[in-house]
Amino acid sequence: MSLLDEGLRTPAGPSRNRPHGNVAVLRAFILLLFGVLTLRLVDMQILRGEEFAQRSRENHIVRTNILPTRGLITDRNGEPLVKNVGVYSATILPELLPDSQEARYRIYLRLQELIGVSPLEVQTRVDEAIAAGRAYIAIRIATNLPREAALALEEAAVDLPGVSLEVTPGRQYIAGPAFSHILGYIGPQTAEEARVLRQQGYQLNEPVGKDGIEAWYESDLRGQIGYTAAEQNAQGRLITLLGRQDPVPGNTVRLNIDAGLQQYVAELLQASMADNGSGWGDAKQAAAVVMNAKTGQVYAIVSIPTYDNNIYADAQRRAAELERIQNDTVTYTLLNKALNPAAPGSTFKLVTATAGLAEGSITPNTTFQIGCSLDIKGENDVIYNYPDWRCHNMLMDVRAAIAWSSNVFFFLTSGGDLERQRGLGKDVETSGAVLAAWARKFGFGKPTGIDLFGEASGRVPDPQWKRRTKVGEGFAPGENDWFLGDTYNTAIGQGDVLATPLQIARMTAAIANGGTLPVPHVADAIIGPDGKVVRTISPQGETIDVDPRWLQVVREGMLGSVQYGAGARAASSKTTVAGKTGTAEFFKPDGTKSQHAWFTGFAPYSDPEVVVTVYFDIGVGGDKAAPVAGKIIDYFMEHVRP
Amino acid sequence: MTSVTLGNFGRARARTSFWRGWDRFDYVMVAAALALVGSGLALIHSGSRPWYDGPITSLASPVAKQALFAVIGIAVMLGISRVDYHRFLHFAWVFYALSIVSLLALFALGSTAYGSTRWFDLGPVQVQPSEFAKLAAILCLARFFSEHGGDARDVRSLLLSMAIVAPLAGLVFLQPDLGTSVVFGGIWLGIVVIAGANRSHLLMMGAIFLAVLPFAWTFAIADYQVERVAVLVDPNEDPLDSGYNVLQSQIALGSGQLFGKGYMQGDQTQLEYLKVATKDFIFSLLGEEFGFAGAMVIFALFILLLMRGVRAAQLAGDTAGQLVAVGITMLILMQTFINVAVNVSLFPVTGIPLPFVSQGGSSLVSLFASLGLLQSIVMRHRSYRQT
Repeated sequence: MSLLDEGLRTPAGPSRNRPHGNVAVLRAFILLLFGVLTLRLVDMQILRGEEFAQRSRENHIVRTNILPTRGLITDRNGEPLVKNVGVYSATILPELLPDSQEARYRIYLRLQELIGVSPLEVQTRVDEAIAAGRAYIAIRIATNLPREAALALEEAAVDLPGVSLEVTPGRQYIAGPAFSHILGYIGPQTAEEARVLRQQGYQLNEPVGKDGIEAWYESDLRGQIGYTAAEQNAQGRLITLLGRQDPVPGNTVRLNIDAGLQQYVAELLQASMADNGSGWGDAKQAAAVVMNAKTGQVYAIVSIPTYDNNIYADAQRRAAELERIQNDTVTYTLLNKALNPAAPGSTFKLVTATAGLAEGSITPNTTFQIGCSLDIKGENDVIYNYPDWRCHNMLMDVRAAIAWSSNVFFFLTSGGDLERQRGLGKDVETSGAVLAAWARKFGFGKPTGIDLFGEASGRVPDPQWKRRTKVGEGFAPGENDWFLGDTYNTAIGQGDVLATPLQIARMTAAIANGGTLPVPHVADAIIGPDGKVVRTISPQGETIDVDPRWLQVVREGMLGSVQYGAGARAASSKTTVAGKTGTAEFFKPDGTKSQHAWFTGFAPYSDPEVVVTVYFDIGVGGDKAAPVAGKIIDYFMEHVRP
Repeated sequence: MTSVTLGNFGRARARTSFWRGWDRFDYVMVAAALALVGSGLALIHSGSRPWYDGPITSLASPVAKQALFAVIGIAVMLGISRVDYHRFLHFAWVFYALSIVSLLALFALGSTAYGSTRWFDLGPVQVQPSEFAKLAAILCLARFFSEHGGDARDVRSLLLSMAIVAPLAGLVFLQPDLGTSVVFGGIWLGIVVIAGANRSHLLMMGAIFLAVLPFAWTFAIADYQVERVAVLVDPNEDPLDSGYNVLQSQIALGSGQLFGKGYMQGDQTQLEYLKVATKDFIFSLLGEEFGFAGAMVIFALFILLLMRGVRAAQLAGDTAGQLVAVGITMLILMQTFINVAVNVSLFPVTGIPLPFVSQGGSSLVSLFASLGLLQSIVMRHRSYRQT
């Protein structure tokens, strides 16, 4: 009380004078400052309010994707060839690790105990990520953990801040290496793929089909992604679930492949690789196609050597194996040999025979006396000698020529002898062009359209092609002219002509079924998760403009080949087989000469159901490929035939 | 009561009781301040929900604590309003010396938080010497000018007045506390303008200041300040680091739009994207939950309060009183402006609370103390009015 009284009575301190300031300026200043703030608020809350509101929603509503279950792949009997599995990975989120290096190292050591990763390596990767400012992105330190290790890690992760177990969808290929080339594999998207797939609604963490059926039918197998939307706080904890869209599982792809047959053929080829007396050495590569003769449905398509396509999912641990198959420049493991071209050899004579009959250079009854070779008098009376593969010394019609695979007969059929016998055309070049046109009619020189990636076109040489190609460095002037020898070579599937086993099989099917060139299909139907067929891959084919009578003659020749000719070893005890052998000379990369062994045929003869084409990179057709084809037909008749 | 009803003026008043002068007490000013404190309590309640879920009556509750400090503040205000402000002016230089000493001591004994040393940690309470120093500066300036004919017309007194404020502002700047040193500047500017500083002098000083600024930027300003200023320019540049608070406050405020998301419905706040939502960024919380409309209500309350401060300056019986009133008005104005400017990203993040609203006892009590000074000036203006 006294303080107050005193204060009022004796104004202490400084002198008092009349205040003279004009406080209006202060009022103006107050209003000015609040005016500035108000303008700013109008800008932020009213003009740009919606934009910020949107950002606020994005801020705290997180969409978590639920990846769909990928569709299965089964063989024609519904037997699954793949299995969906969870892939367990250990991840570290650097920003959640403890601050002290010691505490971190203790975590790394614990991880070494649990999953066997090197602590130093983990440390390096974490430190690099932090240094690069990516501490908020989880690092995958080990993947494909065994289930026990994954469970142990999940339990331990509670006490290891920053460490967690991640489960991503994976694929296990359970049918064995025989199916690797068909099925392909799935894997993470590459940067380029991601750019395209993003537009199709793919998430970055979704695996995609990389090859084979997995890639070809990706859109069927994938299904539809689902998601949950949840509210998340600043620490990343989920607060409330706002919505959920269940994923739609992918469709099953049912193949035409018969798992048993595929396995059998693969084993059979593998077992037949060794040299069986030809002296050319062991085969290194082989292929076989077993196909419905009418529809082109592929029952088996085998390429040797094969590999385990589970390697890709476990690339980190199986790096050495992966490296080996990826850099295999001897047998090119990854290449599907059934889709890869080689000189077709005598199997090509089926085309020459049909062309000769259709173009009238021969008739079904035309006969030639065939000896050991053909001598042609060229310009300046030089005699050119074209040898047959053996001395036949018999009078042959086209049937016998197919059966015994006479070269000389088809030399005469395709190019004539420039004197008495005419060729397919009026002169050497035209004959070559006409033969090439017939080859193209039978599907050579272009992909067959099979539902697998990596199919080669092969090559059909003709005068134009030769003129275009064989010029420039390494070629003498005039070397690009089409000679009689070129027609001859092409007629017996030698020289520049190249065909894939699948093309040969398709040509065989067209001959067997009376002129329809089918498009081969590995897949048969797409089946929904409810088991109903969503879509069938209907057989397609084009009709070849050829008189069925000529094909009948060719088939008779093929029957002769198996019954008494060069392909006798393809005979089956279960049915009548007709076929054609092929032994194509080629030069190995080291320059030495060798031979490819071929056999292509169909059965039963009277009503062809199945086409079988067998190829070995080294061997003799009749000895090596024909017996294999016979066994395949046996198996087919017994186990596959519907 | 008797004294008032007696209606006695002149010397007789001196003998009257405790109740004398209360008829001139500015209830409107106090009402505005209490409305702000009330809004603050409501906002603190909303903003503390993510981290406090105990009962509101517990002393651990931030709302209860703030309310308690408000009660203490009101008591201090009433106490000071009963004291003649000349008594404080009398001790102005003592306060000044104490401020300097405590600011210096801070460097040795203070608590560091967010890279800045601003508090003494005294057990349950934290004391911020700069709060006290601001009042000391106001009192010293008022006394200085009232002793120099109450004006700042000559350059000499202008420079001397600056020399009074500079050490305090400098020490605060070194803490570092950029915002509070700007508040010091605002107080000084307001006082010298009202004290009649020559406009050309001020312009010249302003020009010199602008010329020196680039050098200050390079040499004197701490890295964190440069960074905060840079972040202000583009908060998206580094959204997870320094820019985080700026960006989140922008999103919170902006997303409130016209009428806000509703009380306790602001997800930026409730999901803790907005940091220090009950302290430096309480205005963003307000903007998010009550929108532009809510912000305008708070602005109206502040303008009312500040206009009552201007009124006190107008009414003041003498130069000293007027300058103290101006200084206090500037103090509240600058703190409000800087805090809101930080929230709307017009000023770098600097750790100044929103007067009367933000959570924090030290600030609240000292603000009520300043209101006490204003009341003291209003209540006594007739006694000292010399015509």
